[in-house]
Amino acid sequence: MATTAAITITSDIIPNFGSYTKEMTLTEAGTLTDLKETTGYSRKKLASTTKVDLFTMANTFVDTAATTTGAKVFIKNLGYNNEIDKSVGVKVLINSVEIGVLYGGDWLMMPVVASDGEDIEVKPGTDDAVVLEWALFYQ
Amino acid sequence: MATTKAAIQLSSDLLSDSLSVSTDTKCMKAGTTADGLDQMRMGYNEIPTGTSFDLLDATTAAVDKANKVYICNNSTDETYYVIITIDAKPIGRLYGGDWMFIPWNCDDATHDLEVQAYTGTNDIMWMCFHEGETLGTSAD
Repeated sequence: MATTAAITITSDIIPNFGSYTKEMTLTEAGTLTDLKETTGYSRKKLASTTKVDLFTMANTFVDTAATTTGAKVFIKNLGYNNEIDKSVGVKVLINSVEIGVLYGGDWLMMPVVASDGEDIEVKPGTDDAVVLEWALFYQ
Repeated sequence: MATTKAAIQLSSDLLSDSLSVSTDTKCMKAGTTADGLDQMRMGYNEIPTGTSFDLLDATTAAVDKANKVYICNNSTDETYYVIITIDAKPIGRLYGGDWMFIPWNCDDATHDLEVQAYTGTNDIMWMCFHEGETLGTSAD
């Protein structure tokens, strides 16, 4: 059972850069063994600038040495009602340290330290409704 | 207008029914709907063990911008990894063969994006798509 993620980046900022593609298989830390657990694909609507936990680590990683795992998270900002606004976004934070802002349509894929307290948090920039989709893969 | 797009194809058969997500995004300047990121830096570094290095230095010019960062650990040994740190907070481990793509808007100038290698010298490829960088005046 495998989970794969392939990225393709295209840009005309630098002439002749063209396109770049890379695929990875999500594996357990330091091995070629596939990750076997996931939260599944989730969806959450937000309509407030209050910072909330998208994923609370303590709810899953209880009494585990999860700091050495190969966990990965995917998050996408879908906008709302099929309207994607590139001018507003949702801050993504790990335990209150800001990673960046996912503007409408933006997505991220990153490794996370899956241990108690290192929660994945989100904070919309406005009170307007916005929908996030996300999935966490872990061991 | 410069155009940069990032697409992902995410597939998994962990669940009883297959998961397949495909999406892309056009990388725009912060707070705009019509102006794409127009600057980029990229590099390939050999990261030795024992020291945490600034891969990308947060600067005042980059604060609250819509920068996008791609990092790939090109090490061929799956036991090799780097710990990615932002503002002294370890974010996660990037093992040999792994990549990541994140927004990086530098909450403040201390939000350097750092890497520290473990197990052996790691080969790291990176790209940063950004805006607003002004080169410093030459001192000599």
